[in-house]
Amino acid sequence: MKLTNILVPLAGTAIDPDVIEYAIALGRAHKAKITAVHVIEVKWNMPLDAVLDAELERGEEVLALAEKVAEKLGSHISTEVLQAREAAPAIVDTAVEQHSELILLGMPYRKRLGRVYVGRTVEEVYVKAPCAVLAYRQEEPK
Amino acid sequence: MSDDGVTPEDPQRPSHVPERFERTPGRRIGDQRVKIVRRRGFRRGRGVIVATEESLESAGFGGRAISAVREIMFGKRIPTERESEERLTKITGLAIFASDNISSSAYATEETMRALALAGAAGLAFTMPLTVAIIAILAIVVTSYLQVIKAYPNGGGSYVVASRNLGMIPGLLAAAALLVDYVLTVSVSVAGGVLAITTAFPGVDPIKVWVGVGFIALLTIGNLRGIREAGVVFAGPTYFYVASMAIVLAIGFYRLITGDAPAPVPPPQAVQANEALGIFLVLRAFSSGSVGLSGTEAVANGVPAFREPSARNASIVLIAMGTLFGTLFFGISFLATRFGIQVDATETKSVVGLLTQSIVGQGALFYVVQAATAIILVLAANTSFSGFPRLASILATDRFMPRQFAQRGDRLAYSFGILVLAAVSAVLLVVYQGSVNGLIPLYTIGVFIAFTLSQAGLVRHWLRERGPGWRFSTSINALGAVVTGVVTLVVAYTKFLLGAWLVLAIVPLLIYGMWRVRRHYQMIEDELLIPRATQVHLAVRKPRLIVPIARLDRSSLNTLGLARAICADVAAVHISYDEEGAAAFRERWARVVGPDLPLEVIVSPYRALVAPLLSYLDAIDDGDQSRPVIIALAEFVPSHWWENALHNQTALRLKLALFSRKNTSVIDVPFHPEDEDAPH
Repeated sequence: MKLTNILVPLAGTAIDPDVIEYAIALGRAHKAKITAVHVIEVKWNMPLDAVLDAELERGEEVLALAEKVAEKLGSHISTEVLQAREAAPAIVDTAVEQHSELILLGMPYRKRLGRVYVGRTVEEVYVKAPCAVLAYRQEEPK
Repeated sequence: MSDDGVTPEDPQRPSHVPERFERTPGRRIGDQRVKIVRRRGFRRGRGVIVATEESLESAGFGGRAISAVREIMFGKRIPTERESEERLTKITGLAIFASDNISSSAYATEETMRALALAGAAGLAFTMPLTVAIIAILAIVVTSYLQVIKAYPNGGGSYVVASRNLGMIPGLLAAAALLVDYVLTVSVSVAGGVLAITTAFPGVDPIKVWVGVGFIALLTIGNLRGIREAGVVFAGPTYFYVASMAIVLAIGFYRLITGDAPAPVPPPQAVQANEALGIFLVLRAFSSGSVGLSGTEAVANGVPAFREPSARNASIVLIAMGTLFGTLFFGISFLATRFGIQVDATETKSVVGLLTQSIVGQGALFYVVQAATAIILVLAANTSFSGFPRLASILATDRFMPRQFAQRGDRLAYSFGILVLAAVSAVLLVVYQGSVNGLIPLYTIGVFIAFTLSQAGLVRHWLRERGPGWRFSTSINALGAVVTGVVTLVVAYTKFLLGAWLVLAIVPLLIYGMWRVRRHYQMIEDELLIPRATQVHLAVRKPRLIVPIARLDRSSLNTLGLARAICADVAAVHISYDEEGAAAFRERWARVVGPDLPLEVIVSPYRALVAPLLSYLDAIDDGDQSRPVIIALAEFVPSHWWENALHNQTALRLKLALFSRKNTSVIDVPFHPEDEDAPH
């Protein structure tokens, strides 16, 4: 599969640098454009375009870290901050808009009721995205 | 919202928010999302807006071209947060900070022998005793500076140590002496490097000054690229010199031990013995050879430039530097005296060059060693390029030097200090026509003044602190202070008439200059100081706004519109050269602007513009200059830079004239030809 655009949603977890590193490794051979995106979920009792300074600052911090990781690896990535009611549809719609062939999702290793917890966003993107989706799960902590 | 469902900008958002919000529909109803578009050049930080590199990039072709050239020459800009990554390892630190000291081994023997040769063979017999004495002093100085690093792990240059412990004047004395010494290091090192080249290629001699200036330019560019990159670039040649000299010395010792001592290669013209051997001559030779101790203080000055643990790394580098210099200096002096190398009176062949030629012949290794010597001598100047700007920045932070010295450039280097050092040392090199022998007498004295003051300062420090092992530390530094103090007196005495007087004259002038700079900043601070927060009065008297109008056009209407928007008391002033012109302007004003805005027309029969306007402002002040006056100047901005020559720059002349007028503010209202929003 030829990769020209890879979308990497970042939530600001510990796995973010690994995901970016992996995306760069995947995209390098294809000279793919990598876009890191952070979605701020806006509560229903607020307007969608409410000014959420703290969340926006955190989002920019997450993306700045991703840019630094890319820079260290000698690559450049584009970054984008979005506000939406739910992260998954915003990720899928952005992937469609950008003609991304791949969405690379990071999954921190979490357990609920004795099973690995995938998370609502990852699950929904997996189900609804028209393009390929790859989930990069964090290794089990030793 | 527009037809495509995108609202380009939300009018509800506060105007200071730097992002633009674009609402985009989703594939399903309710899946709308808002894309937050950053303004060019800015992004959010924690509670702040951070200017990105994009904000520094020029939009125009000329600006982009200059940026591209600058990036090729000096590299990409480095953000402050990456400062720790720009620190030096022990390997690069040794190359940067020790190149001056290690390179001294290339001429310390020669300088000692040049003085002793004036007394013939009897004089040259003192070469080895003096070499051993200088190495012993080096050991004391290195041990003392290890104490400096221990006491001031955040960078304890002689200035810091002396000023904290002995007071402002001793501190400034140490700083001035070091600044002079750093400049001389560049000139002497580069002149020495060029001498090594002329030894191998005598044809270069006529242009040696300009070759030296070229080397200074290259060093300047290298250092403007930042200290880490300079370290990486210059590390190779430093180790190359050490390795090549070690090979030559090893071969020399081998031939000596095996009884195959070579015949010395004679210089073009040996220094003739014409003086009797006396204590003064021996002392002069000692002070000339002491040049080898220069650069010892650089490591202690630059501790913060090392990677963590910086104090430990700096100490290791200092010990390595002393060991390398001592070994090379001893080896060169020993073999030069054993093989009977003579000093060249014409200064075209160096002692190291002649020694190498004697040991290995004029083969490839000879040229390799000459090249290595030339490079290390030039790179010795690099120590100054890291020491001078760093010291100048500390002085600027303490307000003893202009603030520009404390500002870091695009690559985190103290660019202003680097440029000043390059300029002054290049001038010195030209004035002395690139002569090492002419420059050496100026050298050394500054280093020993700084050595003495820092050691004395540390004695005071240990006596005051009285921490664990203070007795040992005090005795080490006291010994260092006494020894280096004696050497300072010897150097000053023996080299005074040879040129050291110049340094001794410049140092007090520099101290006076630094004191005046400090007084100026102190005065400014006193003027600008807010006495108490409760006494702050932000309210000032309401200003009057004057708009000088040369011609009634879109540019001046644009300015009048802005003036009306920001101030209630606005008046326009037009200066006409004759009454007819004045009447015509009034008539046009009445037609275009109307009676709402007062207009004053001044007839200037002597065709002057600026002076009548200033007189008019004085007149309306009526002696009361406490009411602020704002002058709004309409300024036409041409599309191309060269079109400026087609305009008479009246606004610029007015700005310059109004700059020093009390209570007067000037607003520039630029008008761009393509400005569609301006009034028609």
